[in-house]
Amino acid sequence: MLELLGYLLKQGVATSRENFPDLPEHVRGLPIVTDKDCAETCNQGTALCADLCPTQAIDLSEANKPKLDLGKCIACGLCTDVCPSGTLVNDRRTRTARASREALISTRESPAQTAATKDSKETKPAKAGLFKRSLAVRVVSTGCSACDMEIGASLNPIFDMERFGVTVVASPRYADALVVTGPVPLGMRAALLSCYEAMSSPRLVVALGTCAISGGLHGGGYSQADGVDKILPVDIYIPGCPPHPWSIIDGMLAAKSLKT
Amino acid sequence: MKVDKESISLADLKEILGKETHRIGHFTSLDGGQLLALLLDPSQGDKGVKLYEIALENGINSYPSLTIKHPQLHWFERALFDMFGIIPSGHPRLKHLYLHEPYERNFFPLRRVPLPENFNSPIDRRFHFLEVKGEGIYELPVGPIHAGVIEPGHFRFSCLGETIINLEIQLGYLHRGVEKRLTEVPLKHMHFLAEAVASDTSTANALAHAEAIESLAEIEVSERSKYLRSIALEIERLAMHIVDVGGMSTDIGLLGIASAMGRLRGTALGMGDLLTGSRFLRGFIVPGGVRLPVNNGLFKLKGQVARLRHELKEPIAMFLDNQMALERMREVGVLKASLAKEFGMVGPAGRASGQDYDVRRAFSHAAYPNMAPPTVTAREGDILAREMVRIKEIWSTLDTIDRLLDNLPEGETTGADFSKVRLKPDSFAVGIVEAFRGELLHLVATDKEGKVARYAVKHPSFNNWTALAIAIRNNLIADFPLCNKSFSLSYSGNDL
Ligand code: SF4
Repeated sequence: MLELLGYLLKQGVATSRENFPDLPEHVRGLPIVTDKDCAETCNQGTALCADLCPTQAIDLSEANKPKLDLGKCIACGLCTDVCPSGTLVNDRRTRTARASREALISTRESPAQTAATKDSKETKPAKAGLFKRSLAVRVVSTGCSACDMEIGASLNPIFDMERFGVTVVASPRYADALVVTGPVPLGMRAALLSCYEAMSSPRLVVALGTCAISGGLHGGGYSQADGVDKILPVDIYIPGCPPHPWSIIDGMLAAKSLKT
Repeated sequence: MKVDKESISLADLKEILGKETHRIGHFTSLDGGQLLALLLDPSQGDKGVKLYEIALENGINSYPSLTIKHPQLHWFERALFDMFGIIPSGHPRLKHLYLHEPYERNFFPLRRVPLPENFNSPIDRRFHFLEVKGEGIYELPVGPIHAGVIEPGHFRFSCLGETIINLEIQLGYLHRGVEKRLTEVPLKHMHFLAEAVASDTSTANALAHAEAIESLAEIEVSERSKYLRSIALEIERLAMHIVDVGGMSTDIGLLGIASAMGRLRGTALGMGDLLTGSRFLRGFIVPGGVRLPVNNGLFKLKGQVARLRHELKEPIAMFLDNQMALERMREVGVLKASLAKEFGMVGPAGRASGQDYDVRRAFSHAAYPNMAPPTVTAREGDILAREMVRIKEIWSTLDTIDRLLDNLPEGETTGADFSKVRLKPDSFAVGIVEAFRGELLHLVATDKEGKVARYAVKHPSFNNWTALAIAIRNNLIADFPLCNKSFSLSYSGNDL
């Protein structure tokens, strides 16, 4: 026991000092549309991005007006790799949660897209003894476990989500928010709905990850795995496949700020 | 690798299964009109991979079940029924594996030949649990939603006092229909879906997919790509073995060690980031090669390996030194070697019960068998043995990454140009990979136009789930979480 204590003390503080830092240079974030014009050739119908996109997240039906749906994007990075004009670029910011499905659509007019959280004391770790703004979440997994593991990571000593007042609880009875990962295939519907029903109002629903938002790669099949909002009203969307732990924390704080 | 299909009769198959020391790689169908049996003989290397087709007579969709003689087939036959409506008649425990109440009684998603006239499924969609009768027996249902942040599944325990008499496992909650979707999406997008079968295993899935597609398209892969693929696969194994040991510490109550392992897993994921730009190494292995980002951190990997080797030492030593931890793991959840063989167990869990089988040494994929480390096995078959195998593999994986980096050949790595890729028509190919949980297999069949007609995935957990149900018998209910964790099973990989 003493040995363990000694070891832990020796490790020092692992927790990241900066909150919501941009992803490092070599890491692929989500793509985003900038205000740059599309290349002439692309406007004439030779654009590769939409064709390459594995989830049809890019809509080029209007020339020079690409619409990028982050709710479908799996962050494969193919579109930003081929874009000749810098219209689609890799966005390394981590405040990616949005409060509506529409806000996930990135266009040239609204490239930056407002984050659902504001820079305020909400996004700072709660001070000891200040419990009035907390959020208890119940996570229900309906997918491939990558998102679940990133939730696990957001609780590790590096990201330490709990210092922001967010706790993962084991029962829906005392949860403020239901966090759903995965595309909700038919087999999980009944269980998910009964979990939601067990929560007391007011209750929030967070769709975590591209599958939960739109079904992602799994949508469109006989298992009707097309996302949470087909069966429950969603308050917060966290795009990514899987979202980065910082994005997950951002989403939780966005949910916390909705709590009345 | 490409496999040639041989047509035989059911009697022939029975004879082959009875005589030879094959393990069953897959047992399924193409469209409902036949049975396909993929048999593997690891001692023969690539030559030991054989595919047999057994035609079903026109209008007949049943055959005498083989499960009683070959328990390895237990879940394969259930899955075959679920997906194709082929009835293994006389199957001792026939019930649905993937598709439960929400689906119609006679819906068989992968069947393409018509069902016999007036066919009606012999069983309904409800999962009928085996009932244990007797004084003092009670049932304990757990799931599908669990207390922690993990995938869903239902466990039904029949207990006497605190002792588990029987455990039945109902899965399928995560059935997304990926096998069907894989035949619907264009080839250029297929690898993304293949790796999302289970994203904690995304590298292994991407590799199995690439190996199968490359043999069908007759694409040669550069040595450099093969090495880089192996590095990615080993990084995935490293990160996940660290998670598993960390998870075990959490369940035992050694939170300090668990949090150290959580942090070190971050370092392993960071290695994925450096190599591929993605913590889960997504989109890295593509048919034809790898997608190495321009500003990758390949040159930094060696340093990270050294760092992890150093930093893992202390927490792992403390874990193995902890009397409480050892007592909770030793002689608990024992699975005998003979049973492990009978169920066809794979991966660290199989090796902990004496199964000397590591795909890296048996079948060629990525830079293996050349660069394969020695197989780690144990004989005790208890929780501790499973953890010991994992821990030893953490060290051997670090060494393997080092060796791969030291010998990394030069060369091209770019993936295939999908506009030029044509798959050979009417052919079969299989990718067999040692994922961190064991043997993962993607079997791909093309039709006469060279389109993917059947895409079958066999995840390692598919072989191992039954073993958990057997190992936990006569153990205490309080030991279940530990035992479960020690098998490290995937729900999504199984449920497809
Ligand atoms: S990064 Fe997203 S939008 Fe771009 S091609 Fe990939 S999935 Fe589509």
